[in-house]
Amino acid sequence: MLKRKGFLLGAVGGLGIASTKNVFAAALGQAPLAGLPGSNDRVLVIVNLQGGNDGLNCVVPHGSSDYYRYRPQIGVAKSEVLAIDANVGFNPQMGSLKGMYDKGMVAVVQGVGYPNPDHSHFRGTQIWQTADPVGYGTTGWLGRYLDAVEAPNANLFNAVAISDVLPEALIAQKTDVPAISNLATYGLASDKNTATSAAFASLSGATGERFTSPYMSHVSEIVDHARRGSQELPKLIAGYKTQASYPATQLGRSLALAAQIVGSKLGTRIIYVQHGSFDTHTGQRAAQDRLLGEFSNAMAAFYDDLAAHGNEKRVLTMTFSEFGRRVGENASRGTDHGTASPLFVVGANVKGGLYGQAPSLTDLDNGDLKFTTDFRSVYTTVLEKWFDRPTAGIVAGTFPTIGFA
Amino acid sequence: MPDASYRPAGPLPNDPFGAYAGPWNRRLAAHLLRRAGFGGTPAQVDALAAQPMNAAVDGLIAFPATPNLTDGPPDLPRVYDQNGKSLLAPGRRLGQGQGRAAVPRVDESAILPASAMASAAMEQNMVGIPPQPGASPAPGVDDALIAKRKALNMARNQADLAITQWWMGRMLATPAPLQEKMTLFLHGHFTSAYRQKGITAQQMLAQNNLYRQNALGNFGDLTLKVAADPAMLRYLDNYVNVDAHPNENFARELMELFTLGHGNYTEQDVREAARAFTGWTLTRPYIVGEFVFDPSKHDDGKKTFLGKTGNFNGTDILNVIFNTEAAPRFLATKLLGFFLYSDPEPQLVDAFAGLIRRNRYDLKPVMDTLLRSKIFYSERAYRALVKSPTEFVIGTMQLAGIDKVGPPVIQAMRRMGQTLFYPPNVAGWSGGATWLNSQTMLTRENFAGALMKSPGAMKAPFLAALNPSVAPKTIAETLVNAVVQGDTSPGSYERLVSYLDGSGVSADGMLSGENYDERIRGAAYLTMAMPAYQLA
Repeated sequence: MLKRKGFLLGAVGGLGIASTKNVFAAALGQAPLAGLPGSNDRVLVIVNLQGGNDGLNCVVPHGSSDYYRYRPQIGVAKSEVLAIDANVGFNPQMGSLKGMYDKGMVAVVQGVGYPNPDHSHFRGTQIWQTADPVGYGTTGWLGRYLDAVEAPNANLFNAVAISDVLPEALIAQKTDVPAISNLATYGLASDKNTATSAAFASLSGATGERFTSPYMSHVSEIVDHARRGSQELPKLIAGYKTQASYPATQLGRSLALAAQIVGSKLGTRIIYVQHGSFDTHTGQRAAQDRLLGEFSNAMAAFYDDLAAHGNEKRVLTMTFSEFGRRVGENASRGTDHGTASPLFVVGANVKGGLYGQAPSLTDLDNGDLKFTTDFRSVYTTVLEKWFDRPTAGIVAGTFPTIGFA
Repeated sequence: MPDASYRPAGPLPNDPFGAYAGPWNRRLAAHLLRRAGFGGTPAQVDALAAQPMNAAVDGLIAFPATPNLTDGPPDLPRVYDQNGKSLLAPGRRLGQGQGRAAVPRVDESAILPASAMASAAMEQNMVGIPPQPGASPAPGVDDALIAKRKALNMARNQADLAITQWWMGRMLATPAPLQEKMTLFLHGHFTSAYRQKGITAQQMLAQNNLYRQNALGNFGDLTLKVAADPAMLRYLDNYVNVDAHPNENFARELMELFTLGHGNYTEQDVREAARAFTGWTLTRPYIVGEFVFDPSKHDDGKKTFLGKTGNFNGTDILNVIFNTEAAPRFLATKLLGFFLYSDPEPQLVDAFAGLIRRNRYDLKPVMDTLLRSKIFYSERAYRALVKSPTEFVIGTMQLAGIDKVGPPVIQAMRRMGQTLFYPPNVAGWSGGATWLNSQTMLTRENFAGALMKSPGAMKAPFLAALNPSVAPKTIAETLVNAVVQGDTSPGSYERLVSYLDGSGVSADGMLSGENYDERIRGAAYLTMAMPAYQLA
């Protein structure tokens, strides 16, 4: 047992993944391998801007005097804005993303929201994750996509969340998605001890117990899935060489891992990363500008890395935040929970530009922006145009597609 | 991975709610304590097994007095003064005059100074980790105001942590486990959540005590009390439900999630019920508001609700609801799904609904019958549920004899998918297969491993009784009986023995005085890794 393990590790390090195909096929059952169908497919990367990203200081309506009237202290000065046109432009910290925009790699979808907005972080996040502003389902929109395409459950990495907790968006009926907060702690602590690890492998399986339970096989399958995933992922991605200089931030590390997973061709279709906190009730300029700068720089490094491996056209990245923020600033130079905000769609296959209407600053709803693009239009576009998949069973209702993909 | 049905296979017994008269043993006593409690210690299981089944159930149903337990943590931090005035200075807001409706808007940020309300940051704060640097103030901002907000935010975090630690401590220590289990059921049924809509820890605590006081009381009476509960009035917005602008949130969830279930009422019924609950509000300031009926905001007109017509008030609405066929069936489905098994058969639900109706919604005789029934002790029900994170964590701590609920325990619970006082939405926790995914299971296993490695674990009596002179076979038998009541295969038992005596893994050596402690802890952890341990 010990020897065999050592052999596998050596094989990956020395020969690279592709040439050890047969060894892994035996070790992993039907686990994904480079060169297998699906491994060169398109990938969706979701960047969740947690906490409610203030849209108005992100894509700044610098042509509007109302904006400066509502934001006397925290407004982004016209001279600072990285102008897209005479009306809107990027936050000054987003130079890298502006550079990608100028190359046609960034779509800015303006005024994204949904009817009857909820100002709670949790409920707002849940609505985006489930694509259901009314009900309380138990699956996410991306989970339903995985179910719809019958992503093989034998593949341990159909989708990967680089997060502490599995986001609801990735909860599926037929597929289990791992959540990895960082590679060092991903897995069972007991696997560090050879004897305990070996015993765990046989004891956690269902082996003819003296009772039956409808959940029995499910429990042991999930544990086995989780354990094998955590053991195999580091080996499967070990051959990848990162070829970009990522910022030393959480998001930088997450996207570096995402590029590594994409480049290792595991058949992964969706990768979910998080960035925040954008909940800027106080001192917003310092906090949000820094976060937007981190996002912008990490995205540039991510696409450099992808391009160095020829993967930039395979990957479409989409941001979302549970809500934007109030139009008027508050007394502590921050903003409170609001409604619509812009989101970004990035990739070498994206048709860059401005999409949707910038929300009106004169026609407000209780001091909040009125949304102009339903978020389910963005999802519909991603599903139909990027994944070539009808929305039936994934997003309820019919929403027009947007031209970015 | 939720799936269509996790209903047990095979036919129902005749007269499923008839009294069970079969054999009584440790396995069934442990089953009873897992369902009517959180698992308990091996000694508690032994004590239940030593008396007849009826006596065991008597002891759980008649809650013993709990003089050593409190109804809340001491010195719960507040974010408002004695008069209910927020300790946060009101903020200036531009845009406030922009067409604001007469109905006060519901937004936690109007009350909460939360610089750390983002989900991840918030959850971390809840367990005492300082906020992420995301909200550091810009130079020149009113430092005093920001300092005040930070201090208040910290107080909120401490309060949230305190009530969670307090409740879990109560679950661990209580001599009346069914009382806490029913409280957990009701918390997931009549959901409210702290930090939403400005709900305070104090209000969540009061709601929790309401559930505890009515744990085996009358479900109809409790529903009425819930409709007047401050946390609920805020959570589902009924405090702003006024005749001029009815707010349907509470009326809708009352029917959909609390009493009838979807499909048993119409949209018109929702509107009419909302009118009947107008004026059921809170005294100001809301943050310390008490229930009050405000006749000036109540719509006293005629309503037609579920086919009945009258000048209904909220109480009348509840009376109509509880006289439907759907209401007892809905409660039966929820109780059986929580205490018996998933997706119970329609005929089983109907029989249990009849029991509920005959007992006029008194929970005590209903639960009493369930816990003594043939179906409850059948193979169908045995280990037919997935332990919730609360059951897994409390049960494991009871087993290991650890009684301190530190922030890492609550953090682990969050990663297992259950933060007490913070249900994921108004529908509560879905349970069953939704507890199971790679990340939640790795967290469960690592939690059990970490707990068994902690210094206190070896003080648990069943572990302390083991010593280096005890044979590996005896140790394995003790562990398998204490942790999973023997519910494993002969092969797994042998494998545990070989782990203990070191055979087959010579690199780690044979069991000896030196590695003894580590090997016992490892074997206890491995016993918890058996699939049976995840099942209630």
